[in-house]
Amino acid sequence: MDIFDKLKILADSAKYDASCSSSGSNRKNTNDGIGNGHVSGICHSWGADGRCISLLKILFTNACMYDCKYCINRSSNSVPRATFTPREVADLTIHFYKRNYIEGLFLSSAVIKSPDYTMERLVETASILRNEYHFHGYIHCKTIPGCSQELIDKLGVLVDRMSINIELPSNDSLKLLAPQKEKDGILKPMTYISNTLKLNKMDKSKYKEKFVPAGQTTQLMVGATPETDLKILKLSEGMYKSLKLKRVYYSAYVSINNDKNLPTLEKPPLLRENRLYQADWLLRFYGFQADELLNEEHPNFNTLLDPKCDWALRNLDKFPIEINTANYHTLLRIPGIGVISAKKIITARREFLLDFESLKKLGVVLKRAQYFITCKGKYFYEVNKFNKNFIETNLLYTERNTIPQKKFEQLSMFDTLLPTKEDKIKCLTGSL
Amino acid sequence: MSNWKLVNTTYLYDGTFDGLLTIVFESYSHKTLPQKIVSEEEYIQNFLDKTQYINTNYEKAKRVFEGINKNICYEALYNSFYAFLSDGKEKEIKILKYLCDGFDIGPKINTMLTISYVFSVINMRKRALSECHKLKGLLRFMEIGKNLYYASIHPDNNIIEPLGHHFIKRLPTQNFIIHDKNRNICFLYNSQEYKIIDSTNLTIPDVTEEEQKYQELWKLFFKTIAIQERKNARCQMQFMPKKYWQDLIEEP
Repeated sequence: MDIFDKLKILADSAKYDASCSSSGSNRKNTNDGIGNGHVSGICHSWGADGRCISLLKILFTNACMYDCKYCINRSSNSVPRATFTPREVADLTIHFYKRNYIEGLFLSSAVIKSPDYTMERLVETASILRNEYHFHGYIHCKTIPGCSQELIDKLGVLVDRMSINIELPSNDSLKLLAPQKEKDGILKPMTYISNTLKLNKMDKSKYKEKFVPAGQTTQLMVGATPETDLKILKLSEGMYKSLKLKRVYYSAYVSINNDKNLPTLEKPPLLRENRLYQADWLLRFYGFQADELLNEEHPNFNTLLDPKCDWALRNLDKFPIEINTANYHTLLRIPGIGVISAKKIITARREFLLDFESLKKLGVVLKRAQYFITCKGKYFYEVNKFNKNFIETNLLYTERNTIPQKKFEQLSMFDTLLPTKEDKIKCLTGSL
Repeated sequence: MSNWKLVNTTYLYDGTFDGLLTIVFESYSHKTLPQKIVSEEEYIQNFLDKTQYINTNYEKAKRVFEGINKNICYEALYNSFYAFLSDGKEKEIKILKYLCDGFDIGPKINTMLTISYVFSVINMRKRALSECHKLKGLLRFMEIGKNLYYASIHPDNNIIEPLGHHFIKRLPTQNFIIHDKNRNICFLYNSQEYKIIDSTNLTIPDVTEEEQKYQELWKLFFKTIAIQERKNARCQMQFMPKKYWQDLIEEP
């Protein structure tokens, strides 16, 4: 089997991993070395599915001894199997890196022989890259659940990021779909990495080498099991708080195996995945809590509106917000205003009071924000328009191109819909 | 700057950043604002224009350069340099106004985003920097000799120098050529020092056999890594506009 066949098989098996980021590490290059880290990460290409390619994402082997029902590489599937040698992976990484195809290596693996045996191969690969080729680019390695702690220590000082995929968001689902795996086997190494990271940061004299400088991440699968969005989001929130994870990735389940315990989906639940990512950002950068976005009455996200708009409509008593006086954290809660816009507003209003015109000049998009703000005490529309019905109808109307509208209502003479640009032109030309 | 004299003249300069800084020096010391500033190469003769050629004076340029750093702030220098590299329309006159105002106001100038030319200088900087960042990823080296690599690019902004520096830091032992085909300039690096030269007729030797193998491997990886069930050409195009496709190895 030549390197082409191996690459085809093992890249194909690795593609369901969502993570590809190369950010968070600022590893420096030496004079005779190759590569360096870039704090914000660099994307090198984008695949046909629109996901960025920044790392050489491959499995070390796909000859797995486990039989997890959702996984393409389960031992009872008849798919072609291949295994790299550590040298092959290292050479491929270096040659791709020299041609600027990639930012580094993302090495994951199925479990072959035993967790420890597999983990030793990963350590060997990373060690060839770092110590022999003096490679200082990005390396992201999967930790194999159930491996020994010494191996985690060894790998941790070689790589930039480590991750363990939880995949199934609850113990019951785990029992149902991955009976050979245990919850503890997954959570224990995660806790161990997070504790070592904390110690490493506190006591720099004792730990000379940096341990996983870009932190650890995980992945949850969406749509294969009956968990609600609330449950998934709560789990992520908990992990961000207690384990200090850098990212939680969500991957929409793609039906690849037939099993009585698995749902058959025609298409992967991409909208749901998107909503979870939106909410995830709200947790990490916007100061939201999972409880605010979802609750027992609404355990799943609104399919028509994004989580922030949805939250704002449920909490209209907190609006409208005055742009010129609200603090940073309040500004972030306005739908349509993100971190960049909020910072721009804060800088610009030190010199001038802002009105709608100057907001537009700053490049703040008002498509959603206009319904929720006042500038110098003025609302964008007539004051009596500030009600849930008006705002919701117009928000849905502006999104109509992207999201199919399902709500049908009796039209009324006193429609709350704003006229569009085309309507106004039609009025003028008389072509009604 | 409000009481400055507006002169109905077009200033011409040699198209370098030092040249522009000399103009800043002249304008600021005489308190005059020209109507337009155009580099001599791009200038199209117009019989209504009154033109004046400003000779680049490195002494004056250096004084302005240090003055910006001292009296405005480092960020202003950064903003004006990257705005200068961008392909923004009438960038020179905007940078001149931005800097002259900056000398009067100080570092606060960067927060005055509602002044149109401050906003556009900052926007131009952003355009240049973001294209530079994009090309840090999308540039593809080809091996054309032993430890000699070549890459061609077609950028909108003139960002070959910051781009080159990125690769010097990253691949210090590798000899490489980055070729900006829109401007016909080359960034050469021989693992010790770098140089930017004009390159109107440049012949590139054929790629090595090993190179072909890795190109094939990369194309294979690129095709395999996409999930067919999630195909999304629009999303792909948004991140990787078609104008960059011509220099890629893979075929998106």
